[in-house]
Amino acid sequence: MPQSIQRMSSKIGLPVAGIAILAAIFVIGLFVSSFDQGHILSLVYGEQAFDNQFLHELTHDMRHAAGFPCH
Amino acid sequence: MKTSLFIVIVIISGAFAGLVHGSANLVIVEPYLDSATSIEQQGLLAEGDDEARFWAEYENYRTWQKGGQVIAGILLGVSMGALFGIVYAISRESLPGGSDLGKSLFLAGIMWAVVYFVPFLKYPANLPTVGEPETLAFRTILYLSFVAISCMGAVIFYKISKRFTGRKKLYAFAGYCVLIISSFVILPNSPDDISLSQGLVDGFRIASILGVSAFWVMMGLLFGVLWSKYKPHIHTV
Repeated sequence: MPQSIQRMSSKIGLPVAGIAILAAIFVIGLFVSSFDQGHILSLVYGEQAFDNQFLHELTHDMRHAAGFPCH
Repeated sequence: MKTSLFIVIVIISGAFAGLVHGSANLVIVEPYLDSATSIEQQGLLAEGDDEARFWAEYENYRTWQKGGQVIAGILLGVSMGALFGIVYAISRESLPGGSDLGKSLFLAGIMWAVVYFVPFLKYPANLPTVGEPETLAFRTILYLSFVAISCMGAVIFYKISKRFTGRKKLYAFAGYCVLIISSFVILPNSPDDISLSQGLVDGFRIASILGVSAFWVMMGLLFGVLWSKYKPHIHTV
């Protein structure tokens, strides 16, 4: 009968790859939801994205509600 | 640690807490945003404009922004949840609270204070019409600077506190308070004047605090429950 051994992970067992992925999610997610002024979509739509501010308008109310600077 | 399970727990708890945050804001924050944007729009209505068409376009615009409240809540929730997950994974063994649920709720309380509430005391949430577009970059730098000072201060003084025992740990907390008070005095205030009624602004700020607090309570609760149930820190070999 196979025996399973449970082992608690120590600090050495920190998931470096997992933390790197979460760090990327944190930075990109925070920028899009709280600070983008057309930058992300300008990669696709060019200068027009800065005028349309699609993501800014979509996240506008949450930016104010969560305390981020907005206008 | 089971990396995939760890990431899934972070994303699910962050997304759901963000959904709660966005939904709560629809009820408690939106009435204040509606009042402020309505005042802002009245100032933009020029003589000779088709008033009915102007307000119809405004309503469409506001419907779009309100819909974004929930989507942005989920996005921001996953983002802040990712930060929470990183800090939890690194500090889990030294967090007080006994169970993983207790540790998670304790960390959520600390992060609510350090990431949100302490910076809020210097640079509180503001309604539309308060901030000028020309000052946005400056206000963003000020706000992020204060958040960075608060976060780095918390980490540094936490490290210092580990060198002390008993009541001497309070020296580290006192050090954090001195850092924050000094930053509070040194950093300039937000450059924009508030032309709206103080009652409207105060009500909005209380609603903002309630919404963000709901997020952090849900984040701590869900993350703690999921971590306790699936135990991603335990290897089975």
